[in-house]
Amino acid sequence: MTREITYVEAIAEAIDEELERDDDVILFGEDVEEFGGNFGETEGLYKKHGRDRVRNTPLSEIGIAGMALGAAVGGIRPVAELQFADFAATAGDEVFNQIPKQPYVSGGQIEAPLTIFAPSGAGIGAGAQHSQSVHSWLGNVPGWVVVTATTPYDAKGLFKSAIRDDNPVFFLPHKMLSETKGEVPDEEYTLPLGEAAVEEDGEDVTVVATQLMFHRAKEAAAEVDADVEIVNPRTFAPLDTETIAESVRKTGRLVVVDETVERYGTQGHIANEIVENDFFSLDAPPKTIGVKDIPIPLSPPLEQEALPSADRIADGIESLF
Amino acid sequence: MTQNVSVDDDMARDLLEEMLRIDIFEEETKERFGEGEIPGFVHLSGGHEGSHVGMGAAMRDDDWLAVGGARLIGQYIAKGVPLPDIMAELYGRVGGSNKGHGGQMHVSDIDRKLYGHAATIGSGQNPAVGLGLAEEMKGTDNVAVTTIGDGGTSRGSFHTALVFAAYWDLPVVFVIENNQWAISTPSESLSPDSLSDYGIPHNMPTESIDGSDVEEVYRAVSEAIERARNGEGPSVIESRVVRLVPHFEGDKETYRDEEEYEQLKEEKDPIGNYRERLLENDVVTEAEIEDMITNIESEVEEAVEFARESPEPEPEAAYDHVYRTPLYGQGE
Ligand SMILES: Cc1ncc(C[n+]2csc(CCOP(=O)(O)OP(=O)(O)O)c2C)c(N)n1
Repeated sequence: MTREITYVEAIAEAIDEELERDDDVILFGEDVEEFGGNFGETEGLYKKHGRDRVRNTPLSEIGIAGMALGAAVGGIRPVAELQFADFAATAGDEVFNQIPKQPYVSGGQIEAPLTIFAPSGAGIGAGAQHSQSVHSWLGNVPGWVVVTATTPYDAKGLFKSAIRDDNPVFFLPHKMLSETKGEVPDEEYTLPLGEAAVEEDGEDVTVVATQLMFHRAKEAAAEVDADVEIVNPRTFAPLDTETIAESVRKTGRLVVVDETVERYGTQGHIANEIVENDFFSLDAPPKTIGVKDIPIPLSPPLEQEALPSADRIADGIESLF
Repeated sequence: MTQNVSVDDDMARDLLEEMLRIDIFEEETKERFGEGEIPGFVHLSGGHEGSHVGMGAAMRDDDWLAVGGARLIGQYIAKGVPLPDIMAELYGRVGGSNKGHGGQMHVSDIDRKLYGHAATIGSGQNPAVGLGLAEEMKGTDNVAVTTIGDGGTSRGSFHTALVFAAYWDLPVVFVIENNQWAISTPSESLSPDSLSDYGIPHNMPTESIDGSDVEEVYRAVSEAIERARNGEGPSVIESRVVRLVPHFEGDKETYRDEEEYEQLKEEKDPIGNYRERLLENDVVTEAEIEDMITNIESEVEEAVEFARESPEPEPEAAYDHVYRTPLYGQGE
């Protein structure tokens, strides 16, 4: 049986069920108690699980991320929220140097089964320091499992797996999807990390897209005169290159759309994997589409200019034929 | 004037022996580094031995240590990591505590509750707070001790850790080993009278002690740990020591006043002073000390042998330990 719930409801359900299932799971972050998170993603959890398990922290991402690392090494499973993904940078050392590296430099002794989650992405006019998509920053540091969610179904199943995974996982919901609804099973379920999903079958061209861009890619697919296959990577690091390659072997064409900036974004890496390993299955050069190489501006028309639109994606698809 | 000994004779001898162990191990490390056998940098602890050993003695095996500052090896030894494991790690060999993935700045030994070191100075304190939180959540009375140098206290991360530890009254003991230098920058120029004053706005118990006196460190850290165990929250201790060695091997120390340096060596050498004190109080004899030294020398020699004989890691081992696989939900 399924029912329709919103993306943030799916997130809250995932945390709720994991808090219930495993006493070692705790949730902390800024304003996760009564306030319930900026988007409602932690609503109700404090009331149900109490202050030992759901804790407001002082305002410091360094403290949140650093404490999560120690708590995980100490044998509990912290789920820590940063209010915006951009703030991965305010905990720069913890996020780039400590969490992904301590397990490695310890020669595998240190286990850091923590999850940091942080709403990412543009579209609500939040400006240059509250709108970034940071999965290319994080994907750049081996040691993080980097996960995004596109639908409520994804959000719940992937978040639960993130919490259960023994690696540090950075989970990036998208703010623009907060209120989107989708079908989610009544029964408990998880989705595998590290595996891409073919969301729409098609014969002519593979479009790789997640989060908001997935939804725009679907609109674009309806506009173009081609049979589009859409692959949702779900996990950016480590990347399931095989599922993408398999799709390109079938379609012969590749468009990668993502909300990271075009300059050194994820698009280039994904396209490169195919160019290097499956060049002869390509009938056209791959097309990469991302955020223009500018900070995200505030005014809605400017912000939309920075983001890939359904039209830009459609043009990108058509340019390959 | 003869100073009394405040601990029982066995313990006093153990304290001296452990300081000598650090000293002899590090002298050998210096030699081996000089001969090109040890890669990377080497930071030695000369002058900090009393602080390391007093702190180690105050801790239970089940208490966490998160090492900070740049004086590391002595702390690993004080936490009870076997010398061969440390030496082989300095060599980057398979037999090292971290199988060669860590090196001098990252020796960790999770079974012995040594978290290791955050080589970006000052980034180990928030994880220490998390370790304290984990112990509390698990219902133990174990504590987390975390060290930092005077230099590291200038980082926001250090101050954040104080905020977080105080916020939940967590069982964390912050030990600031103030050796008066952050490489060439003097701690004198920092505003607090004592660096432990950084705990005052958080209403934490603070104390500034002579960290070159091993018994004084043992006393102060024991008291702070006791408070933490009893649910009375975090403390900050400034352990005033001197750095009787260069910042790292190869540092020419052009910034130091030679006369003052010589005087400090005379007055603040924790090992020489303690040795005299125990002799004057008839706790040990010269012969016993000589025995200790001989025994430690052979332990250290064995550690070097172990390191030399331990294989270099296979290049493919570089790919180990990045992720624990399978990821959740993937086929087992
Ligand atoms: C965040 C950071 N900044 C700079 C350095 C380079 N560095 C290594 S040790 C050191 C001085 C540390 O001084 P202090 O904290 O007083 O420790 P001590 O060397 O006295 O033990 C510096 C600047 C570093 N490792 N990490």
